[in-house]
Amino acid sequence: MARGKHRQSSDAATPSRGRYVGTGNGPAFQPIDIGHPEYVAVIEPDTAFWALVRREKLAHAVLGGDLVKSFRKKASLFAKEIDTLRFGLKPSAVYFNPTERCNLNCTYCYIPEDMRRTGQHMSRERLLESLAILKRYFRTTLPKGSLPQIVFHGAEPLLNREAVFAGIERYADDFRFGIQTNATLLDESAIEFLRGRQVSIGISLDAPTASIADRTRSNWEGQGVFQQVIRAMDRLKGYPAWSVICTVSQENLRHLTKLVDFFHEHEVPTCLMNILRCTLPRSRSVKPADAPAAKHFLKALDRTHELYRKTGRKLIVGNFANILLAIIAPAARRLMCDISPCGGGRCFFALAPNGDLFPCSEFIGLPQFCGGNLFRDDLPAVLHSPPFESVTGRKVEDIDPCRGCAIRHFCGSPCPAEAHEMNGRMEKTGAFCEFYEEQVRYAFRLIADEKVNDYLWDDWDQGLRQTFGMS
Amino acid sequence: MKNPPKKCKITAKKDVIAYRKTCKAQGTGLSHYILMDKKAK
Repeated sequence: MARGKHRQSSDAATPSRGRYVGTGNGPAFQPIDIGHPEYVAVIEPDTAFWALVRREKLAHAVLGGDLVKSFRKKASLFAKEIDTLRFGLKPSAVYFNPTERCNLNCTYCYIPEDMRRTGQHMSRERLLESLAILKRYFRTTLPKGSLPQIVFHGAEPLLNREAVFAGIERYADDFRFGIQTNATLLDESAIEFLRGRQVSIGISLDAPTASIADRTRSNWEGQGVFQQVIRAMDRLKGYPAWSVICTVSQENLRHLTKLVDFFHEHEVPTCLMNILRCTLPRSRSVKPADAPAAKHFLKALDRTHELYRKTGRKLIVGNFANILLAIIAPAARRLMCDISPCGGGRCFFALAPNGDLFPCSEFIGLPQFCGGNLFRDDLPAVLHSPPFESVTGRKVEDIDPCRGCAIRHFCGSPCPAEAHEMNGRMEKTGAFCEFYEEQVRYAFRLIADEKVNDYLWDDWDQGLRQTFGMS
Repeated sequence: MKNPPKKCKITAKKDVIAYRKTCKAQGTGLSHYILMDKKAK
């Protein structure tokens, strides 16, 4: 039970007045060891409230004193903020899959092989019609002046380049566009077109050398595409709105630190080092264990910091930055995997080339999660269809061990597709748990050592206001 | 060095560190990536 607790403490139906920490309606502070020599964290999980306390002061801080008093004053505000974030948002983005096909056959892809090998393109006419429908829909849901986001995603969207570019051209003023591509078709003219229209560009690369990168990302003939990606990276230098996704797997885990060097050298402004999703069985063949995944991932984060200290130029690891933001400014987080319910079906949804709608691209290979069709069905009704609600209704409170976990609103227990396919049902964790625990502990150590700014965008707190402060 | 890192402050360690910032949640975040920074229009 998360909703409402901090607003009910004086309600006659809940006789506890919340006078004591840890019982009744009192703050449910949980101390956690963050691996820091001087500080431990104290977390009130439902509100995602936290404080770092000197180890020797823990008992005093948790059982009384200014921390408890200050928290009580703000508890309702924090509860409302988290409630809005978890249950009060509307969709504002679409993963738009303009084709089922891909020219690569990556080990961990969540789109079934036969679809990628022989699937269909969305026609130019259908693609334009889709954008027209989405434009009309978002006009009814988003505030005036707020542009919805369209991310052309895959499979490989540039296999259907003519239709995609026609859509970007026609609806330039109606959406913020982005494209996630494997970069093999990202030639000079494509980059010129996309840069000229300020389209965000995401490309994929898993390792700093061909021999490693090509293990997981190769074409249907088994040939790697490392060199093609490097050429695209060189072309993108200087463009502020590009990034690289690295999928972290057993194959590249030990090379993440070198990959950070490589990205930094190539002036990548932002990267994501996403742990692979284990939705489809094939991807599980390269699943790393949690402990080594965390160890190497955190070493890579350390390396980004060393490089920043040395050169003054940051390489932001976006997925970690998002966890850091989830702690210090929950409403400012930008990615919606690490929150419960996740963003699938409630902050964004995915459109397949035939018009079928899914809560997230991760579900596109799972027909039982199709909620309807953009061309045939009413979109608001699709968003409330049983398949969508099975995802939007998945909450940490219903999952063990998440329901008792102090960091449940920093991690969010991703991912529902993975939980369902790998572990049998929605009310299960996904493939990783300790990996997220270690990231949160690392984030708290950065806070303790006053290094937060070094891991976030320069203007990360622009437009934010402080709602709590104690030191 | 276009953006020199700030030097770490050498200050007395605080007994408690706690802060929180907020903004209007946009809900525009995606799962994988893109459009994360505000530099694109």
